[in-house]
Amino acid sequence: MRKERLLGLAGSVAISAVLAVAGPAWAQQQAPALEALVESGDLPPVEERLPAEPQVVEAESIGNYGGTWRMGMRGGGDNGMIVKTVAYEGLVRFDDQWQEVLPNLAVSWEASEDAREYTFTLREGVKWSDGKPFTTEDIAFAVEMYQDPDYPASSWIDNPNNMPSIEVIDELTFKLIFPNPNGMLMDQLASTDGLHIVSLQKDYCSQFHPSYNENAAADAEAAGFSSWALHLQDRCAWGWETIRYANPELPVLYPWVIETPYTANNSRVTWQRNPYYWKVDTEGNQLPYIDTLSMRVSESTEELTLLALNGEIDFQERHIATTVNKPLFFDGQEQGDYHLGEVVPSASNTLVLQLNLNHDDEAKRELFQNKDFRIGLSHALDRQEIIDVVFTGQGEPFQVAPRPESQFYDEELAKQYTEFDPELAVQHLEAAGLTETNSDGIRLMSDGRPVSITVDVISALRPEWIDMLEIMQLQLAAVGIEMELNSIDRTLFYDKRPGNDYDAQIWAGDGGLEVIQDPRYYFPAHAESVWAYKWQAWYTGTDTEIAEEPADWAKEQMELYTELRATSDAAQREELMRQILEITKEQFPVIGVSLMPNSYSIIKNNLRNAPETMFNAWLFPTPAPMNPVTWYFE
Amino acid sequence: MVQYIVRRIIAIVLTLFAISLVAFAIIQLPPGDYLTTYIASLAATGEQVDPRVIENLRRQYALGEPFYVQYWQWITGILRGDFGHSFEWKRPVTELIWGRMGNSILLEGLAVIVMWLVALPIGTYAAVRKYSLGDYLATIGGFIGLAVPNFLFALILMYVAFTWFGTTLGGLYSPAFENARWSLPKVWDFLSHAWAPILVLSLAGTAELIRILRANLLDELKKPYVVTGRSKGLPEWKVILKYPVRLALNPLISTIGWLLPALVSGSVIVSVVMNLPTAGPMLLRSLTTQDMYLAGAIILLLSVLTVIGTLVSDILLALIDPRIRYGSK
Repeated sequence: MRKERLLGLAGSVAISAVLAVAGPAWAQQQAPALEALVESGDLPPVEERLPAEPQVVEAESIGNYGGTWRMGMRGGGDNGMIVKTVAYEGLVRFDDQWQEVLPNLAVSWEASEDAREYTFTLREGVKWSDGKPFTTEDIAFAVEMYQDPDYPASSWIDNPNNMPSIEVIDELTFKLIFPNPNGMLMDQLASTDGLHIVSLQKDYCSQFHPSYNENAAADAEAAGFSSWALHLQDRCAWGWETIRYANPELPVLYPWVIETPYTANNSRVTWQRNPYYWKVDTEGNQLPYIDTLSMRVSESTEELTLLALNGEIDFQERHIATTVNKPLFFDGQEQGDYHLGEVVPSASNTLVLQLNLNHDDEAKRELFQNKDFRIGLSHALDRQEIIDVVFTGQGEPFQVAPRPESQFYDEELAKQYTEFDPELAVQHLEAAGLTETNSDGIRLMSDGRPVSITVDVISALRPEWIDMLEIMQLQLAAVGIEMELNSIDRTLFYDKRPGNDYDAQIWAGDGGLEVIQDPRYYFPAHAESVWAYKWQAWYTGTDTEIAEEPADWAKEQMELYTELRATSDAAQREELMRQILEITKEQFPVIGVSLMPNSYSIIKNNLRNAPETMFNAWLFPTPAPMNPVTWYFE
Repeated sequence: MVQYIVRRIIAIVLTLFAISLVAFAIIQLPPGDYLTTYIASLAATGEQVDPRVIENLRRQYALGEPFYVQYWQWITGILRGDFGHSFEWKRPVTELIWGRMGNSILLEGLAVIVMWLVALPIGTYAAVRKYSLGDYLATIGGFIGLAVPNFLFALILMYVAFTWFGTTLGGLYSPAFENARWSLPKVWDFLSHAWAPILVLSLAGTAELIRILRANLLDELKKPYVVTGRSKGLPEWKVILKYPVRLALNPLISTIGWLLPALVSGSVIVSVVMNLPTAGPMLLRSLTTQDMYLAGAIILLLSVLTVIGTLVSDILLALIDPRIRYGSK
């Protein structure tokens, strides 16, 4: 309120005066396209659009304005592509090395000793893409919407186990208060989860909610929705919901705003620069440099591959950078006028064999929980053969462990039991009680049945999984273990979990870099810890009807992790995580095959400031942390 | 004739009702529902899903209801012109499908026309000049056309276009025209892109038509009325085209009704490979994500097209073949 009056009374002269006092004299350059709009009076001058102290983004070189960044996305539910390129604007962000949490929409923050109270200060003068100021009111509104029981969302804001309340101090300062300690909040806010709380503009979105507009229900009906909640969701979907990108009217804080929305019938999604974007380069030029984003929507990865080969994609890793395509893209560099950058995946392992330690079948549970059995399986695998055959030699034998790039890397954990030694394997299997074999040479369990492990796999997700499993099948058969493949659809794959209806499932080794944030294979942390689904249910408090008390070692890890989450001290968190990993090493719960080989990105040769090497994860939504706003075409 | 059509229309309504029931049941058959898929995708990113939210969503989408309640809601909605809500796109289904169905009908209609235009002369020629070089060429071409899977042909075409001409085939328009209104330049742009999918889509059908036409015509050509016509001095083209070809078309016309659905379902993979904005990929996707109202609407529309097509071919058949006279019974 106070600020609007100031604007109205004093006008731009006062603002420039404030600017001169407040900080360095910015050059205040803007894109040529916007200059014309300012001259015609359709847009206020750049100094009125930028905050008093805009965020300064450093880059290798100062760029020039213009151009279109062409990329490809999949049809239906590929909002991830948008999050990773446009929408990553939270209160805070990660630095490009994924080490630190940096200010973004919030300039500073403070955590209380017990990690229950967080105080944030917002950047002054940030505006939404429609020119309205971004304030704590918007944050409070977002929290209110998320916690509205009639408006189903799902995020940390309405997490029933630790639901924060918000206290607005003034226009720029607010506090989040949690009933329980939440030491990892800043990491969470810097990841994609942080987008929730800054995704709704009160001014626009409140018109669809009955508390702010008594006609909301009638309006919803007139617009063809059965309830106001559906109408609100249609216009103002939260966080990074796909539907959010189907409404060009929705005010956003992104560097680019939607021009052609992402709907089922559009085969291209386009974005134009946001004239109110609140970041500048080191010389004070308003970012982003690139005018337009153009995302080809395709059901066909073949088409996207051809587009990239033909030089019609400027920067991309997602969808097309598969292991199989690598030689193709390598050979096509000259013709397509691009080169390959390096991408370090966050996953540690190409394949994680998760035996169901909570199996309902007594004999199988006993066997799978026997560490000797798992060690035996691990030694029976000739990992180098798999790497040579399936990955053309890329990668190295590896267990499910932090990657070499991680500060948690522990060679012993990563390499234990990885050497191929059938004799040693047999020794361990016999130590696990599998001494007898049947006429087919298959070992017999304590109750006389042959050992047969059915492995569930979603082959559509990673075609190489089937190749790997078929080799593993032969290798395990050589030591008397029968393995069957069960290729199923994703829905059934998930559906089997609560029913505990599986011997083993496989997945890639998430948590190779985001060790603390996603420890699913190090202890039964959440529902993706399929190897101990009942134990994780006990820990997370979900699916209480199937929850089962974990073994002592897992319980100890859970206690350590609870302690870890309760502290805001990074060094202490690291120490606690090391203790958890020590127990993982001792217990060896899941079996890995090989280190996930590095991937690559396709970078057009005239694109500047784009990263030649970067990490890639969902929690670290590359390339967004590498500041695409500073990229430009030469 | 009128009585016949009325009877058929009553039968159509009953058929459609049965189809809608079966379609809805089949979509519901796989374990789980859209929310299971949704939760799975959330969980895959490491997110915890609050049971309250799921409960809310289930209520919102009426997913917890028994089958017949859901079916009743769906079918009564359709009678009012409301095909329900797509879970994935969170939009009314009607808004989503018309554009796609339009593209399908346009593209596949063109494919059918091309198919007939190519197949009729070749098939006729092959039958009349039996065992000539032309006949052998047509036969070999036909067999190759039948044997090559459409999607493979699409991939080969895309690869050839890329390596030889440096262009990427795919989609139906250039970027500049994708969201433009219809105009003459847009029509031209459409045609310069659409030739490839039309070629692919019509390939197998053309081959099949040539074979059927040739076989039918060979049977007819030996019949006495042809010999009579010829001996009475009719020009050769008239001898062939006026009667035998017309009769040989009989089995082709009676399958018109199956053309459209066969093209939609047969072209799913081609559409995915070539990224065509038709109903095929949307149907495939809605089935895998269990977006049941969207899938149901597309299946139902395809069924409507099939039964209408069958009716049309019956009527055409009665018109073209004087031996079929329903009205005179």
